[in-house]
Amino acid sequence: MVITFPHMGKVYISVKALFDDLRVRTVIPPPISKKTLEIGTKLSPEMACLPLKINMGNYIEAIKEGADTIVLTGSCGPCRFGYYGVVEKDILKDLGYDIEVVILDAPKTGHLNFINNIKKISGYSSIPDLAKAFRAAYKVTLEVDKLIDLLLYKRARETRVGEADRCLASFERMARQVHGSSQILDLTEQFMERASNIREERGFKPLTIGLVGEIYTLIEPYVNLNIESKLGRLGVEVHRGITLTDWIKTHLSLDMKYRQERKTMLAKAEPYLNLCIGGHAWETIASTIDFYEKGLDGIIQVLPFGCMPEIVAESIMPTIGTDLQIPIMTLSVDELTGEAGYMTRLEAFVDLLKQKKGKVI
Amino acid sequence: MKIGIPRALLYPIFYPMWETFFKELGHSIVNSTRTNKRILDSGAKACVEDACLPVKIMHGHVIDLIDRCDAVFIPRLISISQEEYICPKFIGIPEMIKNSVKPCPSLIVLDYNAKKSTNMAYKGYYKLASDLGSSKKDIKQALERALGQQRAYERALLGGSNPLLALEGLETFSIRKEIKGTIGLIGHPYLIYDRYISMDVYKKLISHDYRVIVPENIRPEAIEKACSIYPKKLFWSYGKHLLGSGLYMLEQGLVDGLVLVTSFACGIDSFVLELLQRKNNRDYKKPLTIITIDEHSGHAGFDTRLEAFIDMMEWRKENGNNISSHGKGLYIS
Repeated sequence: MVITFPHMGKVYISVKALFDDLRVRTVIPPPISKKTLEIGTKLSPEMACLPLKINMGNYIEAIKEGADTIVLTGSCGPCRFGYYGVVEKDILKDLGYDIEVVILDAPKTGHLNFINNIKKISGYSSIPDLAKAFRAAYKVTLEVDKLIDLLLYKRARETRVGEADRCLASFERMARQVHGSSQILDLTEQFMERASNIREERGFKPLTIGLVGEIYTLIEPYVNLNIESKLGRLGVEVHRGITLTDWIKTHLSLDMKYRQERKTMLAKAEPYLNLCIGGHAWETIASTIDFYEKGLDGIIQVLPFGCMPEIVAESIMPTIGTDLQIPIMTLSVDELTGEAGYMTRLEAFVDLLKQKKGKVI
Repeated sequence: MKIGIPRALLYPIFYPMWETFFKELGHSIVNSTRTNKRILDSGAKACVEDACLPVKIMHGHVIDLIDRCDAVFIPRLISISQEEYICPKFIGIPEMIKNSVKPCPSLIVLDYNAKKSTNMAYKGYYKLASDLGSSKKDIKQALERALGQQRAYERALLGGSNPLLALEGLETFSIRKEIKGTIGLIGHPYLIYDRYISMDVYKKLISHDYRVIVPENIRPEAIEKACSIYPKKLFWSYGKHLLGSGLYMLEQGLVDGLVLVTSFACGIDSFVLELLQRKNNRDYKKPLTIITIDEHSGHAGFDTRLEAFIDMMEWRKENGNNISSHGKGLYIS
């Protein structure tokens, strides 16, 4: 059994650590490229959302490298992500691939199924081994997120442009080569050090922008055309509305303190939206208000074209912008999004923020 | 109180219930005008551009009701059956309207959530009506009568009627000559039962002398059974409805062909119609066409596609088994 899984930002680092520790062979799909997107777009339903198309591309590329089992998580609606696995399986079946697709649904929809699936993909490891591996993978996620956050801080202030990006790129390159959680943790530590040594421009006060929106488009740089780096290079400090750590804490852990915090956080959306409508629309609204309270200069919402929950959030955003007097921009991305037009919009938005702050351009 | 009911989204399915409920409680009802170009344009202008056609139309109907009633009734249908949802946009529709329609009329929002159980869902009706000043006893009675009407309506639909005939009170479309066959018309109720946005597809198919069956004619148990071939429960009620009824029609050989109508960027259709199409290509190989509509669709192109589809079905019936010899063909001489 050789396992593969779809890409989503730096998820592969944690997942690789997990399976390495469990001594299960994995194939990490090649980094998402134009070719991945082309393969995915050709095979997927035309109106499917962008993440599905990229997933398909990932699978095909990973299968070529020898994968025979696909693992992905599921959910129970109403967002389309919950049915990804079934549709993807159907498409692969029609293409003639003999591939097993394991969908890890939240345990509440069937404990037995969940446990069996875990057993199957973990190569029947013992429960303590499993627990240990999961804990280590969680630690990896935390550390990698810390590294990303540090780089977000540094990128806006670096004296030599591109240093933070280079640091991240070489980290990712090396993370693919090392084995197991302990090596990855060591590597992360090295790079934390390297990142904190990036020289900062003294006395520079960057603009601050909060990124909110659909989780996949926020976390996966290929899909959002590397918005974090683009904004960073424009001298903007980026704050992330959703991180992988948040997702894991919400869905997989029993961290009661975090759950309470999350509740308080979501309550902030109350005047505009006070129930879950699937996906991350509720979080989008709540984080927007949270970022406003933290005094950020502007908000950018990113969503894949046609994303059902985010469309609802999108229609609420202008009202929040008017009520709180904070600039908000919505970017919807799909396979046809062009880099130049996108860059122009980001630059224009940053200019607007500068003017609003009373700085001379 | 004069309550406005927009003729959009799940209106064709739940209208008898809503109408009876409000009338029993002594309110009067104003329906929005049937969808027309003005409604479509005003809705598309007010709504965010990424939204799908039905949601834009809903906005148009709310705008149409401004100044014509005391409040507009907006159902927030979170879930209409256990452990299922409809579409995230249906859950957020009151928020979308509040933030996009300016000036926004006062809204009466019904929170309908049958995710846990149907009885829980009726709480929404109680809350709504007691906010409007009715007593608990009156609400109970009104709700019972409304449910009675709704059930009778659903029985009529299962008996072969459809909302266009039963609700709109249109002239019964009759087939002039002999019936050539049966076509399954699959699409969300807010598309195929809205004569404007569906470009009257139902009537057009009938006038080609075909009998038409719709998802509302198929029993829920049959739908449930047909969908059980998939490894995971479909959690969209209407997605399941479309997929299951289509599979059932194919499986039982009820239809000679399927016409699927979808709106551009419909998230649910992008998945369920894909599954239906793939299953058909694999196992049944019936003629099937998908027609996507949006606010720019034109009648001429739509008609051409429908005619081409019907031609294809008929030619296939006549010549489907013909394997031409070398250098000869049916349509070349």
